Amino acid sequence: MMRRLAALACGLSLSVLAGCGLVTSTNRSVFFVFDVSGTYVEAVPDATKLANITIAEMLPGDWVGASQISACSFSEKEIILQRQLPSTPSLAAEAKRGLFEEFNTYAGQVKSAKFTDIRGALAQASFELKQRPESERFIVLFSDMLADYGKSCDTSKIDLDLTGIHVIAANVIKSDPAHPEKYLAMLKEWEATIVAAGGKWSLVTSPDLLPKLVTGV
Amino acid sequence: MLVKAPGGGVWPYAAERRAVQQSDATIERPANLAADAGSFLGIPYGWPLALAIVGLILVMWIAREPMHRIVRQTFFFLGYMFARWGSALLDHGRRAREVTNEKIASHRADELQDRMLMLEEKMGKRTEQLARETGPILKKLDKATHDLATSANAISDINLEDAAERAFRAALPSMETSRGLTKIEKNIAANTARTMNERLAPLRPALITIRSESPRLKEVAEKLVKIEHDFNKNASDVNKAFSEFEEIVRSEDRKMIAARASIVVPWLIAVLITAIALAGVFLNFFLIERPMAEIVGEGARIGGIGLPAFAAIIVIFLEFVTGVILMDAAGFTRLIPAFHAMSANGRRIMLIVSFSFLALFSVMEMTLSIVREQIIEQQQETRDLANRALLGPALAQPAPEAAAPAPVESATPQRDGANVFGLQLSTFAQLILAGIIPWLLAAAALPLETIIRNSVFIVSIFASFALIFLGFLSKTISSVFKNIGVFVLAIYDFIIFLPLFVQRRLLRRGRSDAGGGTAQEVSDDLVLNAPAPAKASRREKSRQPEQELEKAS
Repeated sequence: MMRRLAALACGLSLSVLAGCGLVTSTNRSVFFVFDVSGTYVEAVPDATKLANITIAEMLPGDWVGASQISACSFSEKEIILQRQLPSTPSLAAEAKRGLFEEFNTYAGQVKSAKFTDIRGALAQASFELKQRPESERFIVLFSDMLADYGKSCDTSKIDLDLTGIHVIAANVIKSDPAHPEKYLAMLKEWEATIVAAGGKWSLVTSPDLLPKLVTGV
Repeated sequence: MLVKAPGGGVWPYAAERRAVQQSDATIERPANLAADAGSFLGIPYGWPLALAIVGLILVMWIAREPMHRIVRQTFFFLGYMFARWGSALLDHGRRAREVTNEKIASHRADELQDRMLMLEEKMGKRTEQLARETGPILKKLDKATHDLATSANAISDINLEDAAERAFRAALPSMETSRGLTKIEKNIAANTARTMNERLAPLRPALITIRSESPRLKEVAEKLVKIEHDFNKNASDVNKAFSEFEEIVRSEDRKMIAARASIVVPWLIAVLITAIALAGVFLNFFLIERPMAEIVGEGARIGGIGLPAFAAIIVIFLEFVTGVILMDAAGFTRLIPAFHAMSANGRRIMLIVSFSFLALFSVMEMTLSIVREQIIEQQQETRDLANRALLGPALAQPAPEAAAPAPVESATPQRDGANVFGLQLSTFAQLILAGIIPWLLAAAALPLETIIRNSVFIVSIFASFALIFLGFLSKTISSVFKNIGVFVLAIYDFIIFLPLFVQRRLLRRGRSDAGGGTAQEVSDDLVLNAPAPAKASRREKSRQPEQELEKAS
């Protein structure tokens, strides 16, 4: 009861201050995208672990979403979860554990897809993030970044709008060790695509860098 | 261009080379340039320029009077203006210093009055206490005196000669019956001793009384001396405070008396204490910032500060305000004027209320310190869970159960036990700290009064000194302007010294021919600081700038 009253008083005073423009939000929204096409599906369990350590560092009130890259990714069917962490630390810690379990369950039963619609997945993630009120927005891509579009769902020509979104490519597996130049060229190409779409591009090679990049701590 | 050589040959580019040589010669000898083709402000060098200079000197000589007036009015007006500002600023600064001294003296008088009232109250209480203390002492004294008097009477009533005679007479019948001299002697001695013993028997209680009463009498006397000493000390304090108070209230030289009361030393001490208290605030902030997130939530910033941090600052401010009210209600400080007009009952109620609030704050902080530990533990566990999964085996390939190392498991409970004990201790330390800090914050209100009041005095003193300094600066600038004006006039007259000299000679000759005038009158034009011969306007007279400048310099 006391907590509710305190929260009510706090909410009232915050709404008054927000009206004056003094109150700003520090929350961020993070959208994890897992590539389940081809051989990368085997790397999804590792990717979910990376997502978990990122979530562990997120603050109360942050928003988490997740989807997968499949043959036709611009679809609600591909969304795995969407959740906002409670604003109090203890409840947020419980919610984080719940998310860990959900990701673990997902990693245990993930199914492979035939094609790799990365642009569709980015468009879907961008669309979801644009609905969010949070000021900082991130898309964390767990993929080998090798797009492969099907005939029935070719999104390779669609325009992406990633304004105000930070796209982080993590756990980008080197599928062809014999040709590093191809790998680097592919990364450069994706960087150019993201920047051209108005987004910010980062590549994460070490697991500990991902939470730091997202939370800024 | 090709030029023929003396030998019939051709020198290529000879003309260009010559031109270059000519320009080099010009650079080396600027006088040539001046003589040949140079000009100064469009006037060619040589006789036209010399003529122009002569013309200028002549014009300057003709325009000397109005030019002198312009220069005088420009520089002397500025000097006069700065002198006026300087005078005003100095005046304001001195007055500000006097007002500050008055305020300090009044404050000191208030302090002394309070002290006198306190001492008076103390003396009143002491007087009441004195009556209670001296009553039994006087009773004891009376009793002891009475006992001593009775004993003295008893001693004085005894007639030893009579007692000895009686003893001898009593011994006579037995002497008659006895035969030998030795026996008689023995008999007399025995009878005398017995009789004397009988006579001295009533004296023994009196002697015992004297022996027992005398130390008590000494003790009582010492107590009385101590009471008298205390009383005299209080009276002396009151007298001292009163005489200082009288001096401050009635003395003409309040400045000196106010200067005796140190403002900076108590202020520095108060600042030091407050700084230490603020260090406590800093500690307190970090103690309650994180758990405040459990009450107000996270995710917002107010003016760039996170919501839990903002809430923690507010709580600290509230604790401090409660402390200020507590100290004022208790009568230790006088920061809130409303408390002065409040009845004793009202103040008591405020004291109880503020004390209760402070106690509640203390309990709240203790609770928050426990919550803080729980939050840290939960966050750490969540992180560990995520990190363990990352470092552990892949989900698709669960590790066999046998792979778990046995020795680590056996060592873990002991380490966990030590950790739990350590955590308990740190939580306990946090609890103590959280319980104490609100009260320490309340104590920080004590030096606040000194800081506020003395800061006002210090700022006032600095402001008055700043005004005086600005006044001095303005006066200096005024003097500088006046001297620049005089210098410009001197330079002007130096430029036209030749026509002036001629004018003087001619005037002197003319006056000597006329047979009148003095040397002083003739050389008037060459004297810079002498009063102008022209009649000054009424406006200039009324202002008298030169006099003001003289004063300023």
